[in-house]
Amino acid sequence: MSTVRALRRADHATLCFDRTVVGAEQRVVQIGLSELVFAAADMPLCLAKDASTGRFNLVALVGLVGPVNLFVHDRRFHATYCPRALQLSAFRLDQNGVAGLAIVDDDPAIGTSGDPLFLDAEPSPLLTDVATALKGLVADIGAARDLVDGYAADNLIRPLNLVLQGTDSREHVIDGLYTIGTEALMRLPNDEVVRLHRSGALGWAGVLTASLAQVERLCQLHNAAGQQQLRIKRLSCDDGLGA
Amino acid sequence: MLHTGVPKGVIGTVVVVGGGSAGWLTACRLAAQSISRGSKLNVSLVESANVPSVGVGEGTWPTMRNTLRKIGIDETTFIRSCDATLKQGARFVGWTDGSANDAYYHPLNPPAGTGDVDLSPYWLGLSMADDKATGARSRADGTSFADWVDYQSALCDAGLAPKTITAPEYGGHANYAYHLDAGKFAVLLRDHAVGSLGVEHVIGDVVSANRSDNGDIRNVELADGRILAGDLFVDCSGLSALLIGGVYDVPFHSCRDILFADRALAMQVPYQDEDDPIACYTVSTAQDAGWIWDIGLWTRRGVGHVYSSTYTSDNEAEAALREYVGPAGDALPVRKIAFEPGHRERFWQNNCVAIGLSAGFLEPLEASALMLIETSLDALVDRLPQTRSAMASIARQFNETFSHHWQRIIEFLKLHYVITQRRDTAFWRDNAAAASIPEGLQERLDLWKHHSPSPQDFAHAREVFSWPSYQYVLHGMRFGSDYRGKPATVEFATVEALVARNKRIRVELLSKLPEHRDLLRAVRQHGLQRV
Repeated sequence: MSTVRALRRADHATLCFDRTVVGAEQRVVQIGLSELVFAAADMPLCLAKDASTGRFNLVALVGLVGPVNLFVHDRRFHATYCPRALQLSAFRLDQNGVAGLAIVDDDPAIGTSGDPLFLDAEPSPLLTDVATALKGLVADIGAARDLVDGYAADNLIRPLNLVLQGTDSREHVIDGLYTIGTEALMRLPNDEVVRLHRSGALGWAGVLTASLAQVERLCQLHNAAGQQQLRIKRLSCDDGLGA
Repeated sequence: MLHTGVPKGVIGTVVVVGGGSAGWLTACRLAAQSISRGSKLNVSLVESANVPSVGVGEGTWPTMRNTLRKIGIDETTFIRSCDATLKQGARFVGWTDGSANDAYYHPLNPPAGTGDVDLSPYWLGLSMADDKATGARSRADGTSFADWVDYQSALCDAGLAPKTITAPEYGGHANYAYHLDAGKFAVLLRDHAVGSLGVEHVIGDVVSANRSDNGDIRNVELADGRILAGDLFVDCSGLSALLIGGVYDVPFHSCRDILFADRALAMQVPYQDEDDPIACYTVSTAQDAGWIWDIGLWTRRGVGHVYSSTYTSDNEAEAALREYVGPAGDALPVRKIAFEPGHRERFWQNNCVAIGLSAGFLEPLEASALMLIETSLDALVDRLPQTRSAMASIARQFNETFSHHWQRIIEFLKLHYVITQRRDTAFWRDNAAAASIPEGLQERLDLWKHHSPSPQDFAHAREVFSWPSYQYVLHGMRFGSDYRGKPATVEFATVEALVARNKRIRVELLSKLPEHRDLLRAVRQHGLQRV
């Protein structure tokens, strides 16, 4: 289990941050609103509930079966766009730490290669950049959450039925994911459709649902890794009668 | 002939007489159904500003989740507005023999394998060996029937909620109902009915009813002279039964010869600390001449003593209640409610339907009051007569159905008193006397000595208390059944798999589910999602 500790000169003076390294043990990553269109170029975008609040977060699916990031090979992320939460996974905001940061001890981006966290025993400019980026990401994730709250208020969110099947016929149910219900969108009153359109939420909803086609890409990446071959057995939103 | 407006004989206006949970639930269900079906039914509710709601029915059945969903109230709003908590069953303390460790659960989950395999005989079979050693029907490791066939009693013992904050509204990992503040519930329903469903709210005292030549109620007259006309009248006027009793004088069928309780004392007990755990089940503790209910709401407990005035005095009953509550109740007032256990001989007469206390009341054991309102509304709303000419046959169906339901509820409540081994007071001794046991119940008890309660034992397709409930109570109270499932059979392999699965789920949920108060706090803070 990862340990997050406030960044301290005494403990972390010799460590470096390799911004090209991305951890491989993650299936879902939270993204901000400004990342939505970029991430959709590579990965399916869904909604997932926050474990402590139950509120929906905007997430990108980077893996399928188990905690494996299918875009990571040799500790590098191979895609057009790398979500910022993955780039910054080694750090957290922490007012008690140097530069307002905490560090994830066992994150693979932290080690002896890359940019030093401290220069001549002083915080390096990198730390300021990281803190600024993290604050921006937090605000961006907040903006994404506001967008998704709007979808929830309009009763547009539906469970995503994603079932994969291996060559041994075994099914893998990927649960806990949600998407925008297209039927629910169709049933919206005209005024609400216009409002969503003008706010940009309608367009983003379209991007979200279209991005589900990237599940096939995840399958291809999974299969290319030489593991048991997977195919999509079911990929649909549970739009029946709605909730 | 040309028709203008509403055709003659069409049911276009319903007048609900009386507020409270029954009245407002009725108005909400009728109006929501009308909106859903586009039937343009006019629904009015008239209630007195001078008559307080009885408001004792603070426990629901899981059916309430569906009822709330049907009328369009989301679970977050309901929990926040009514100080509601989640109820996973009832724990009966002291009902079997009154000894120190005498307690069992009646959880809301059905036993594992329901519909496929009956675990009851196999649990009894496992118990046999232990009977000889311990004299008890539980296994030596203490596994009760409820524990063996389901995981919910373990959640209750651990004080865990039946769901996490990520579960959708009205969904959970275990079946659940609610405890609620009945006064706040009526307010929520009223605001929803008037604000969202278009129900007309009339404040006034009904003083008389004017009838047509065919005996139907044409309108009701209020004390200030206003007239409310309608095609169908729903009597939700509580124990006063203004229409079904006052207008139609439908006889009341007392069942005090079977169920002896006729008084209740209710007390609201604040928590000592705002972080005190909230029980996620009703505690029903047997007393000398009745029993005490104890339910946990968000800000307080609702505690009350149900008793028979034949076997104890009001003062003795209050003393027993105060002793149960302890010092926390010293300065708290007690509210006394008198009732005659029983029900009307008919519930639908002419164009008048009685729902709620006007139809009858038994006692709060197993929380059947609100459930009966919901069941009545299912029957009324789903089969609302479209015309007056259709009303007679629907009324006949309704009366037959609910005569059956009331009899079966009486029998199920009586079961708790009949199979007790307590003989310490006249109340318990008389309850077990053959003369007070309904014939149908006695016949089934004779059967269940040799056979497990099963669906075939019940004639009605939608029994309100069916065989799983009977199994939980019978085995919880160590009823002397002599049937046993045989090990090393094909079916036993299935039984073992079900029991093993039950254990796995129990372990998983015990580590996964939040404490009840923590879940409620999260719901109040963040809300539940619809999906």
